[in-house]
Amino acid sequence: MNRRALVAKGIRDVLPMFVPAIPFALVLGVVIDESGLGHLLGWMSSPLMFGGAAQITLLSLLGEGASVAAAVSAALIVGSRHLLYSANLAPYFQQQPAWFRWVGPYMLIDQVFALALLHKDLDARSFRTYYLTAGLLFWFLWLAFTALGVVIGPQVPAQWKLAFAAPVLFVGLVVVGVDRWQKALVALSGAALTFLLASLPSGSGMLIAAIAAIGIGMVADSLFRTKR
Amino acid sequence: MTVLFAIALAGLGTYLTRAVFIIAMARRRFPPLVLRALEHVAPAVLGSLVVSMLMSSASALSFGVAEAAGLLTAVLVAWRTRNHVYTLIAAMGVLWALSAI
Repeated sequence: MNRRALVAKGIRDVLPMFVPAIPFALVLGVVIDESGLGHLLGWMSSPLMFGGAAQITLLSLLGEGASVAAAVSAALIVGSRHLLYSANLAPYFQQQPAWFRWVGPYMLIDQVFALALLHKDLDARSFRTYYLTAGLLFWFLWLAFTALGVVIGPQVPAQWKLAFAAPVLFVGLVVVGVDRWQKALVALSGAALTFLLASLPSGSGMLIAAIAAIGIGMVADSLFRTKR
Repeated sequence: MTVLFAIALAGLGTYLTRAVFIIAMARRRFPPLVLRALEHVAPAVLGSLVVSMLMSSASALSFGVAEAAGLLTAVLVAWRTRNHVYTLIAAMGVLWALSAI
């Protein structure tokens, strides 16, 4: 495939994949508005972090008055799945020039990982062209739609309860990610423990609950290994 | 200033999680224990966050029958369709319908 065809393919692949991300972008805008942290400042998380769920996590926790340490830790735990993406793609980045090994990871979001894995057998130059096309297009769309969300958010009447969309989207992420009962148990444990530990200061209850829930999942996995 | 610092810190951390193996440790493999823990990170944190968001006084969300029904709808629609757009529309629809009554 020549360069032009690769760019065209990248664009064709990205556009349908971005549609499910639109509600996340708009809800992030609402979260930024509700957090009271400032529109421009909140939106800066899009270029600086470029990760939907982690951004929503960080800004909603900061808006709730959590400490910087707790909010950043929670956002990084949400983003820790990127470690797996990095490890999975590392072999295919070894023939790449150094600049691309530094720039590429910045745009390694869920969708780019999925597309990169599908195109890992391209030659190094073609892979780079395809990856950068997909990554930059997602980046541009994400910045544009989160800005749109920040602008639209405050215009929506309070009776619409748009803030409810954030937990709804996260429930959707949990449900889609559950591929065995242990993960459902983990999600429910995390939720229940967060409720019980809610009185702990500055968001630390949520962190303790999440870590305990991960432990519960690992115990459940090792007790019922044959079910995997 | 504190907020910008938090965002920059989270941004740097996010970049590092994406870059670490690609830049520095291409030949390293995860210990199996870490891999098993990582699998449970998403449900644990997302489950906790849902409750944390709903209990937040800042977002002024009251949790009543309409909200409970909305979340239940979200679970069912996400499970059946695996589509976030449908999930959002259905859950918000239920919330609005029950709030209007």
